[in-house]
Amino acid sequence: MRKYETLVLLNPEMPAETSQALIGSLTGIVERENGQILTVDDWGMKDLAYPVRKRMRGHYVRLEFIAQGNTVAELERNIRINDGIYKFITVQLDEDYVAVVAEPATAEAAAAPAPVEPAAAEPAAAEPVAAEPVVAEPAPAEPAVAEPAAEGGES
Amino acid sequence: MSFKKKFTPKRKFCKFCAHKDYPLDYKRPDILRDFINERGKIIARRITGTCAKHQRRLTTEIKRSRQMALLLYTAVHSSEVQKKMG
Repeated sequence: MRKYETLVLLNPEMPAETSQALIGSLTGIVERENGQILTVDDWGMKDLAYPVRKRMRGHYVRLEFIAQGNTVAELERNIRINDGIYKFITVQLDEDYVAVVAEPATAEAAAAPAPVEPAAAEPAAAEPVAAEPVVAEPAPAEPAVAEPAAEGGES
Repeated sequence: MSFKKKFTPKRKFCKFCAHKDYPLDYKRPDILRDFINERGKIIARRITGTCAKHQRRLTTEIKRSRQMALLLYTAVHSSEVQKKMG
């Protein structure tokens, strides 16, 4: 069992209920394969760096879970079938990984990993109630970044 | 060679080594943006001062970030160029 993270980019025009149901089905897949959902982190609408299917905005949702390798394949197969998901990426995380993006979800997951287990027993319990669209928030201890570094390369 | 003595550039250092909790993650395009130029190209290690270990991870994270449309592949897209020309 390993810890993974999947970030999906959803159709921005998808109604909230549809996307909730979609995320619910994804968490359902992980749980069906004896995986365990740790966090469902809804980033909300974000501007994209380049147009995806002619749209400049997108809805990001991040799933963090513990599962076996073949669960990832099954999850990605289902993601590919669904046409509401424009992009996705699955990354294997370190065991001691703490989320860098959403601080509130991290605090909850890091402080109490045990309470998540009972919740995971009933399907769709750890659902996108994480309504905080906290995206790139206070950079922890941002050092003096703006350096002559940025001007490198040819223009 | 007197000009060399006049200007001593500031010593470069690897930001990820200097600050252990400085996140190097594809989900933080705001930080990764410091390591690409305005065209979206990854800046060489010799210019940013990043150490070899972190530069390797940095490139992967930048590429992941690009895949998810969090970071740009290019500032000048070919379709826009065509539009301007035509």
